[in-house]
Amino acid sequence: MTDRPALVHLRGAGEPEPTAAHALLSQRFRVIVLEAGEPASTPDSLVRAIDRLGLETFNLLAGAAASRTALGVALQVPERVAALVLEAPTAISEERRVAELATPTLVLYGTLDPVTPAVGRRIATLMRNCHLVFVYAAGPTIGIDRPEAFAEVVGDFLERHEAFVIRRTATVIHP
Amino acid sequence: MKVSFFETVRYIPPEALPSGWPVASGIYDREAGAHAYEAMIERLQYVEELGFDWVSVSEHHYSPRILSPSPMVAAAFIAARLTRLTIALLGPIVPHSNPVRVAEELAMLDTLARGRLVVGLLRGTANEALSYDLNPQESRERTDEGMELILRAWTETQPFGWQGRHFQYRMVSIWPRPWQQPHPPTYALGTSREACEFAARHHLGCGVSYGPFEVMAKATRHYREACARHDWQPTREQIIYRANMIVADTDEEAHALLRAQPNQAPFALRPGVRDAVMTLDARNIAGEARSPVVAGALPTTFIGSPDTVVEQVRRARDVIGAGVLDLSLHPPGARDLEALTRALELFGKKVLPRIRDL
Repeated sequence: MTDRPALVHLRGAGEPEPTAAHALLSQRFRVIVLEAGEPASTPDSLVRAIDRLGLETFNLLAGAAASRTALGVALQVPERVAALVLEAPTAISEERRVAELATPTLVLYGTLDPVTPAVGRRIATLMRNCHLVFVYAAGPTIGIDRPEAFAEVVGDFLERHEAFVIRRTATVIHP
Repeated sequence: MKVSFFETVRYIPPEALPSGWPVASGIYDREAGAHAYEAMIERLQYVEELGFDWVSVSEHHYSPRILSPSPMVAAAFIAARLTRLTIALLGPIVPHSNPVRVAEELAMLDTLARGRLVVGLLRGTANEALSYDLNPQESRERTDEGMELILRAWTETQPFGWQGRHFQYRMVSIWPRPWQQPHPPTYALGTSREACEFAARHHLGCGVSYGPFEVMAKATRHYREACARHDWQPTREQIIYRANMIVADTDEEAHALLRAQPNQAPFALRPGVRDAVMTLDARNIAGEARSPVVAGALPTTFIGSPDTVVEQVRRARDVIGAGVLDLSLHPPGARDLEALTRALELFGKKVLPRIRDL
């Protein structure tokens, strides 16, 4: 089981328990949920927790409340974060350092999220390897509203990084 | 009141056509086809001269009744040949189209025409599902998602992916963007609760068609109430009423013209197909179920002398709340083009100047 790549989900304060999307992603990844509510959790404390789990490299996923913390982890140990997924981020800090991050990054927003995707656009503008995706008919907690859609795009991105833009599903109807 | 002429591209067949849909294309006459588009431009030059505000074009397939399978191409041709008329593309059939392509083509048209474009997005009549092999049961959902993707493609400033139910793209970033910002005036066409609510949520206009004033008013009332729930009120110009009009010198003459019209739509679906489509295609007016229109002729709600028609337009304005009339002055597919020209002239000279300020 340990040969599956690790996906560390930083769970922010008030964010839901693991969802159907986690169950789907756990078929391809070793999903580890870490409580990441501010201010108790900092990038430092989270990196120490990840160290204790013995993870050398890992993927990182965070919802709105933990997205700034997740960027902080990626800034602290960029060589260990294989890819980063931010769900409906609403804040960004340390823009100059974020702009230097080469981490493959996926930013997701639900089309029913009342928050404008301004922060996502900012991140996509700053980072050289960042992709913005809208998940139709989902609110801020995409994994609850559209678990299959969320798991498919996140899983595909984590496996293929920027090459996820190349379609690999067949469209042949009758061979 | 703004007035739009519904242009249906008059194909005059050199020989009699079969009556079923689809019409075998082997019988198509290329000279008649080429002439239909040239004659359209001549007609629209007259429409422009008469002072109409808009010309509308629509999407229909597999018959000569309305010869515009690609309204984008028709609109581009019109935009290049006429200088004042606003082109109302009412509209691309969203559920069987590639929404990104629709967004691109409309943005291109808006740019070519320097903003002389308004757009209506719609689900299409029940039979249109058959033309591109669309499951009628999915058409509502695909319409809503497609419309949302079109709006996103027009307005999003960063390349983006779309993880939909029916559409998936990993990257979209259209060029050109629309000339009008954030996008051309756009309407969600249809009387359904879903279309009205989509329009309200996205601050779009609403377009209803053909039904009696009181019935259409149910939809526009629902639309305005939905807008209020989203904390805004549409302008009068954000409500289009498309209708058939028969105007003649006297009321009697107008009614005689109506009696002379066929009471069935030309090129009807075979009964077995029609009935099967109707069981799969749920339609409603502001939430009340209605049957999809697949066979009967559409009602004519404006009929009479110029005086009578002006009063009817006043009632349509008051009852429906419409600020734009999109008029079909002569049945699509009818061969008597002189009658269309007469209707245009009478309407343009005796009615249009009197409803302009309503």
